[in-house]
Amino acid sequence: MVGKGLLEGMRVTLKAFFNKKETLQYPEIKLTMPDRFRGGELELDDKKCIACGLCARACPNHVIEMTTGIDEQKKRHLKSYLYHSGLCLYCNFCIEACPTNAICWDKNYENSRYFKDELDVDCLAIAKQKSAAAQVDKPSAEQEDTLTRRDQE
Amino acid sequence: MQEITGLFKIAEILRDILGRFLPAQLVDICMSLINIGAIFTIISLTAVVLVYTERKVSAFMQRRSGPNRVGPGGTLQSVADMIKLMAKEDIMPAGADKWMWVLAPMLLFIPAALVFVVFPFDNKAIFADLNIGIFYFIAMSSQSVLPFLMAGWASNNKYSLVGGMRTVAQMLSYEVPMVLSILGIVMMSGSMRMSSIVAAQQHTWFILLQPIAFVVYVITATAEINRAPFDLVEGESEIVAGPFTEYTGMRWALFFLAEYANLLAVSAIATTLFLGGWSGPWLPGWIWFFLKVGGMIFLFMWFRWTFPRLRIDQLMSFGWKVLLPLALLNIIVTGIGMYIYEFFS
Repeated sequence: MVGKGLLEGMRVTLKAFFNKKETLQYPEIKLTMPDRFRGGELELDDKKCIACGLCARACPNHVIEMTTGIDEQKKRHLKSYLYHSGLCLYCNFCIEACPTNAICWDKNYENSRYFKDELDVDCLAIAKQKSAAAQVDKPSAEQEDTLTRRDQE
Repeated sequence: MQEITGLFKIAEILRDILGRFLPAQLVDICMSLINIGAIFTIISLTAVVLVYTERKVSAFMQRRSGPNRVGPGGTLQSVADMIKLMAKEDIMPAGADKWMWVLAPMLLFIPAALVFVVFPFDNKAIFADLNIGIFYFIAMSSQSVLPFLMAGWASNNKYSLVGGMRTVAQMLSYEVPMVLSILGIVMMSGSMRMSSIVAAQQHTWFILLQPIAFVVYVITATAEINRAPFDLVEGESEIVAGPFTEYTGMRWALFFLAEYANLLAVSAIATTLFLGGWSGPWLPGWIWFFLKVGGMIFLFMWFRWTFPRLRIDQLMSFGWKVLLPLALLNIIVTGIGMYIYEFFS
């Protein structure tokens, strides 16, 4: 029969018309990014960090600027740790280089800033603030990842 | 004829009220103006509503949720669109044929609006019940070919000119099977008057007696109003947008408005000719009319978001080699069928 394919296509679109929609209402519902997502800013754990400088050396763009000092017990520690996210390639080399897993991505994808200097993140200060606050992370009510949802279907 | 109901009754009440203050001739003029205003209101409101509907329908068919931010459920989205269009800069291309360029969008809207003269929205609710109603509709809708060519020519742009010529070729070719598919209806009802055609369908809708004509009419109408899968006029990215490449802001919006007015017009004609017009049980006539028109519009949108676009040579060969013989065959079969029916009754 001529036109069978056309009717088939119309059947498909009509089915889609009444189907569940895939859209997530973004500002209200935010996806948690998967484990291997590279993005956002670097998150430093200043307790784990041994100030070896491997991350800064591994970085192809010299995005990480760190200065180290030695205290009276001959132990190196961080004095400053700057991360220029505006120049970052998100190549993950720094995180692979770190021997103690002290840095990771914060997996935030809302990275736009109004001014250029806001792109330079002082990771050490943030880490110190965090450890001072020492809050237990509460799991926020977020939508599951669509990929896992599709797998369940 | 049935008793006077619905819209015509409202008109009679208005006429009575006006008759108390004004002489008879002025009342007639006032009523004409009110009718014209109502028709224009319908056209512009439909355009606004259809923009929103189109976006929603397309979104739903692609498993998205569509506009839902501006106003409740996104209903004010088209208002926001209009404000955006008004704020856009009006650019005239260098070396354009000025008068033609300015007139084209306006001239395109005029036939789209004039067609509404002969639509029976309800029992007796018709602006002018011409005895050549369908003929008038065909004549008027053919007029919208010219502005496209004008726009294409005046834009001083080769792509626009080619686009305009493509449009003319498409619209002229599809006029022919459209007229021939309508002829079957005229043969069966024995009249070109819209009200008589609706009256002839009180018992059986013509879609049941003329299925081939209906299919041919829907396909040709889709081509006639330049909607997908025949939207060679508009292909924005694949083929440069055709005659209205150079138009911006409100001028472009006029093209758009004309397209949606045409969509409404074609759906209303389909309703009148094939779906029994305003006739229907329980509900008032004009509600039936607009329900059927809404169904037809949904059908056209369904086509648009399902089928891929045709190439121009496929389009032309389909029109001339398939639809035209089909429409002619339909006329022959209708004639023979009518003789057989008369012979046995």
